[in-house]
Amino acid sequence: MTNNKGSLLRFGVFHRFGHFLIIISFFGLVLTGMPLVFKEYGWAHWLYEILGGYPTAGIIHRICALITFFAVFLHFAFLTFQTVVKKNAGIFWGPDSLIIQPKDLLNILGDILWFLRLGPRPKFETWIYWEKFEYLSLMWGTFVMAVTGFILWFPVQCTSILPVKVAAFVDLPSIALVAHRYEALLAAGFIFTIHFIHTHMLPENIPLDEAMFTGRVSEEHVIHERGAYYERMKGEDQLEGLRVKPAGVFGKFVSRAFGIPVLIIGLLMVSFMLSSLICSLV
Amino acid sequence: MASLIKAFKAVICNKSHKLILFSCLFVFISTFYSNNLFSQENSDCIECHIDPSKCDVKVRVDHVTGDVEIVSMIVDEEAYAKSAHGGEDFYCVDCHADLEDIEGEHYPNLQPVDCITFCHDDPAAEYLESKHVSLMKENGVQPPTCKHCHAGEKSKRDTPRAKDLAHRADTIEKCGGCHEEYYHSYRNNLHGQVTALGHFDTDIATCVDCHGMHTILHSTEPESTLGSQNVIETCGTCHPGANDSFVKHIAHPQYKNIVYYKSAVAAILNIRKDPDQIWSIIKSPQIILTILFIMYVGILLQTFAGFGMHSLLSWLGTILDERKGKDSKHD
Repeated sequence: MTNNKGSLLRFGVFHRFGHFLIIISFFGLVLTGMPLVFKEYGWAHWLYEILGGYPTAGIIHRICALITFFAVFLHFAFLTFQTVVKKNAGIFWGPDSLIIQPKDLLNILGDILWFLRLGPRPKFETWIYWEKFEYLSLMWGTFVMAVTGFILWFPVQCTSILPVKVAAFVDLPSIALVAHRYEALLAAGFIFTIHFIHTHMLPENIPLDEAMFTGRVSEEHVIHERGAYYERMKGEDQLEGLRVKPAGVFGKFVSRAFGIPVLIIGLLMVSFMLSSLICSLV
Repeated sequence: MASLIKAFKAVICNKSHKLILFSCLFVFISTFYSNNLFSQENSDCIECHIDPSKCDVKVRVDHVTGDVEIVSMIVDEEAYAKSAHGGEDFYCVDCHADLEDIEGEHYPNLQPVDCITFCHDDPAAEYLESKHVSLMKENGVQPPTCKHCHAGEKSKRDTPRAKDLAHRADTIEKCGGCHEEYYHSYRNNLHGQVTALGHFDTDIATCVDCHGMHTILHSTEPESTLGSQNVIETCGTCHPGANDSFVKHIAHPQYKNIVYYKSAVAAILNIRKDPDQIWSIIKSPQIILTILFIMYVGILLQTFAGFGMHSLLSWLGTILDERKGKDSKHD
């Protein structure tokens, strides 16, 4: 692949910082929380002791939860800023939006045809449909985890809102525990397999898609991955505004030095979880 | 004063009085020695009981569970010293009373130690009156003895102290050994998850923290620790401010219990004869947890099957496209 076309800016500092916060807090949450789910297994005991045991691991878990809250706050501040100050409705509807668009349904159909080798891959817009699913499920998942986690953090205060008759049927802490546990399995499993495979470990990106760390993507890669977006940018003469210097050696080194160990920890976690799950079924 | 001396003289001169007086004096003086003259020293016992050539193992049949266990007769002095009975005030023969005044070798099968009569009559009385014991007796089952629950990790003689974390850990396994269903559902709750990871701090509930130690009543009885009279106080020891709604918490969720599903199926099949059966299952707070659990299992399976398939196909497609691209370049 010739790389003479230079790089385009895909993620600004703000979004890269948000992603960094999410990585840090998500790993903290998963590493301190998963041992509780897989409590019968040796690796869970080992991991729990490394992270300080009771109650230190629980405190780390809560600090990471607060970091997640902060990232969510930043995200919603961004959304508010875009809509109120910049009057940018494009983030909610249109080619730049993360909300699923009618065109995405066509893209899904096109992709199914491509899977069956019946046609070329459709040209994608700014966000590919599975990235939208990931974003929306992250939003939903964070909401569920935050609400249930909050109930588990303050069980006495949360139940005191309910009248006794309701509480006798709707046991908030138990419901919260079930939802928190299985939503966590869903989230951790999803991020460590589907997200990793779809963004970082596809044959063209392996081992790491550095776009979220350096913020830059080679133009060649954008044409190949998001053709419709590239053509739209070209048509609207916005391409020059997106052009940036390619990531330096240092930037690439830092993003790999951070990203690859994190990726490996995630894959280790998911293999631990999967093997334990198989053991418990057998 | 003179009359007092006179009386004293009279006592001294009387022969039988003299004997009593001197023996009292002797006993009094003898208490100053750390080596008690009247009971065998622990060291006398330890002398043999640390030597594997002199005493070995014994087969013991647990009269509650009927388990046959092979017990080492070797005393771990360090573990014993740390145990509840390890202080300087205790002698081996205090508990193994049938060995009093026996020197040298003794017969192998001693009487079971009686914890209750001389020392622990207080909790024992509570325990013997508890529902735990009376129900078992009604059903013709031998109730557990003191030593069944209060036993050290290595040996029954290394009785840990009540607040000892090892003892708290042991309690869960001891109760769970008989109450298996409750053990599994406890492990499925947050308290049980943390203790399963090997942390038994006093702020994480084990069985006894909620159900009481000696006066174990059925939780439906109002006087029990979880009955309507005491439940707020019991939960409140760890959760300050516990209220009427909070104490409705289900500490033993059933959604992973196969028996629960079987009873639900039986109730559905029985719906014409006895609609109350299914009604009681629907009215129970367990039903929300069960539905939520089944829903999540469905979501998990669907997500990973769907997206797993998608990742696999994306991989394959990309590789095939790359190969095609290379081929066309060659042409």
